[in-house]
Amino acid sequence: MRTRTVLAAAAVTLALPLLLPERHLPVYVLLLLAATVTAGVSLLMGYAGQVSLGQAAFYAIGAYAAGLSAVHGVPTLIGLLVAPVVAALAAVVVGAPLLRLRGHHLAFATLAVHLILLSLLGQGTWAGGAIGLQGIPPLSLAGTPLRDDVGYAYVAWAVLAVVLLISHNVVDSRAGRGLRAAAGSEIAAAAGGVPVGGYRLVVFALSAAFAGLAGGVYAFYLGYLGPGSFPLLLSIEVVVMAVVGGLGTITGPVVGAAVITLLVQALNELGTRPGMPSYAPAALSYAVYALLLIAVVRYLPRGIVPAVAVLRKGTS
Amino acid sequence: MSDLLGYLLTGLGIGAGFALVGSGMVVIHRVTRVVNLAQGAFAVLAAMLTSALLATGLPHGLAEGAGVLVAAGAGVLTGIVAIGRPGTEPGAALIITLGLGVLAYAVEVTVWGDQPRSYAGLPGAVTLGGARIQAHYLLVIAVTLPVFAALMAFFRGTDPGKALTACAENPYAARVVGIDVRRMGLLAFGLGGALGGLAGVLLTPVQQVTFDSDVTLIVNGFAAAVLGGLTRPGVALAGGLLLGVAQTLIAGYGGGAHQLEIALLVMLAVMVAQAVRAGSVREVAR
Amino acid sequence: MSAVAETRGLVVRYAGATALDGVDLTVGEHELVALIGANGAGKTSLVRALSGLVRPDAGQVLVHGRLAQVPEGREMFAGLSVDDNLRLGGWRNGRAGRATGPVYELMPELTAVRHRAAGTLSGGQQQMVAIGRALMARPDVLVVDELSLGLAPKVVDMLVGHLRRLHAERGLAVLLIEQNARLALELCDRGYVLEAGRIVLHGDADRLARDPRVAAAYLGGHVAAEEPR
Ligand SMILES: Nc1ncnc2c1ncn2[C@@H]1O[C@H](COP(=O)(O)OP(=O)(O)OP(=O)(O)O)[C@@H](O)[C@H]1O
Ligand SMILES: [Mg+2]
Repeated sequence: MRTRTVLAAAAVTLALPLLLPERHLPVYVLLLLAATVTAGVSLLMGYAGQVSLGQAAFYAIGAYAAGLSAVHGVPTLIGLLVAPVVAALAAVVVGAPLLRLRGHHLAFATLAVHLILLSLLGQGTWAGGAIGLQGIPPLSLAGTPLRDDVGYAYVAWAVLAVVLLISHNVVDSRAGRGLRAAAGSEIAAAAGGVPVGGYRLVVFALSAAFAGLAGGVYAFYLGYLGPGSFPLLLSIEVVVMAVVGGLGTITGPVVGAAVITLLVQALNELGTRPGMPSYAPAALSYAVYALLLIAVVRYLPRGIVPAVAVLRKGTS
Repeated sequence: MSDLLGYLLTGLGIGAGFALVGSGMVVIHRVTRVVNLAQGAFAVLAAMLTSALLATGLPHGLAEGAGVLVAAGAGVLTGIVAIGRPGTEPGAALIITLGLGVLAYAVEVTVWGDQPRSYAGLPGAVTLGGARIQAHYLLVIAVTLPVFAALMAFFRGTDPGKALTACAENPYAARVVGIDVRRMGLLAFGLGGALGGLAGVLLTPVQQVTFDSDVTLIVNGFAAAVLGGLTRPGVALAGGLLLGVAQTLIAGYGGGAHQLEIALLVMLAVMVAQAVRAGSVREVAR
Repeated sequence: MSAVAETRGLVVRYAGATALDGVDLTVGEHELVALIGANGAGKTSLVRALSGLVRPDAGQVLVHGRLAQVPEGREMFAGLSVDDNLRLGGWRNGRAGRATGPVYELMPELTAVRHRAAGTLSGGQQQMVAIGRALMARPDVLVVDELSLGLAPKVVDMLVGHLRRLHAERGLAVLLIEQNARLALELCDRGYVLEAGRIVLHGDADRLARDPRVAAAYLGGHVAAEEPR
């Protein structure tokens, strides 16, 4: 039954890029990239009990790693593979000291990391400074550059599939069980011989790698990167997606990313209708993030996916 | 030499604002264990409202007072949403305050637009020991110090202040003696809102405010607050002043745009050092 | 004799587990009542219900007059001074009712430590502060949850002396919860035995002390009345 649902979902999502009108394809691509980043956040928050308010920093690091290497002549496919590696390394460097922090301290520290990165990117001439990095070539697969949205839609699909598969395996692994124990009681888990600190760092790096991989695709897709592409709100957005979908579930990130992206998209169209004030799109999307986040935390504290699961059990 | 004095006073002025934001977070955190990420929004809200009221011709003083009052009200509302439900975990409440901070963006952009705003503060400049500094910075310092003195007197010398501390020390015992812990939490949120609002109305004449200025304020405020482990308002004052002075000195002596990073790095270093120390204490205790 | 505190058919549940299952208990005016029971019997749950900290799932809690409790584990405001701990005991009285002088008169031992942080006191001193804090509420009935736990016999004697005086001089009613059943039954007029959330025995304290079931379960197998004092 489960396998069938998964296969059906895969078939539908694979058919969508061919069925959707051209103008909706960017939304499809960005939605899947958001889901990829969110999968990492969900792993981090749901299994390792760490709140990250700076996850988009690793998205940016991946994007810049791919973009810079491509600009400097590295084959784009290698650039795409470099992106998650660099992001994960950055996470290890940053995480080694910062993961000693807990709870709101860690949340704030990750937010600080994001702000520091933004400022470094804005001032670093190597990264194009405030103007950004331009002229990133498109991703080439087997010698053919991907120029249209459909190609990127399938790349993003494959990336998300890989990430979800890895998540699934991590959750079922020894390390996954150890982490869940640690999220419950760290001292008890440590006393039981679980190398808590090491696992936490591994998950942190893994979640950064997810974000970095998505960032790599993003860099090639847009062909342009600037500090303004990675605002603080992006980090918050993925937390909203993770919380709304349901932390510590495999499908939660996809559901959360879909709900938020589509809602924001719908409101954006509403907000840019003629006659609407210029601030309407921004105000509407802020309001949506805010109200959804508050409503979910207050009324569905475990998120949409677990809540639906409970409902279905109740009715069947 | 005279440069130095000028930087010091300017830094103290800016730092006083950070200290107000930070102490607001401390007041809320020690009573409710919630890290209030909407704290910067109180400042922005108060500043925007004050600027709008001044534009309608309301005199200085009244406009600022109204801004602070509304910020206090916003604080109470934040508290109601964040901790109003019995059994809300501090972690969940943190996410809720984050949501409320973003909601404030929507409100501010809708009501006041997304352009920076400012208004005139105390006019003129003062020459002190050869240094010319804007008089408004002195006003900021002159308001902040008595406010902190009053805050200390409130916590140390009045029963409601002690009751707030009691809720922080032992919420169960507070309920045993009949203190309404939830109401005290809301009082703390109101107080935190007022302190944040005061920071906003005081700083706006020297640092214009946009709807997302709350990020800078909250980062610096949190950095100040975390020095005192988020429980000691007095340390938040010292921390805020230190940060303000350090940033002004860095900017003044050529550090240019790196002020925020330095504040952030200091904050991270302090937090990690505190965590390491707490960790080693825990290990010794075992 | 009219009741100052009373429960009728009291039921308290925590997330499914039933802690109290239909408890009827009465404390009369000026009465000293003992409540004994094993760990987990539900004694503290009864205290919480009496002081309104948990809502009954069924049954009634009736308190006529003022009730104050000395909580299990003493529950100090550790960072506040002894004097502030006491003052907050009178929180409900309003400002005028928060003068701490009378407590120091009753327990002069506290005078010397009145400015110390309560968390730095010894267990016995903390228990005195907890009693003083409860008295600040000017109660008609005092509920003491575990008077002697972890304290030296001498200190316990002194605390018992304070309770006796409060009862004799002010007519304070006391509901005393004690692991040391012998102590409780000696001090009190009446007693209740709580087992797994139900009252299984109640009556005059000396009759309970002579009851072989009580003796076997709570007095180490000896009948209290035959023990030399
Ligand atoms: N807050 C709580 N949540 C869930 N269960 C609780 C809670 N407090 C008490 N219990 C359970 O209710 C039962 C009665 O507990 P209670 O503390 O009232 O017993 P007690 O007689 O005071 O025990 P002790 O002598 O150990 O103090 C126990 O099974 C306990 O595990
Ligand atoms: Mg008990």
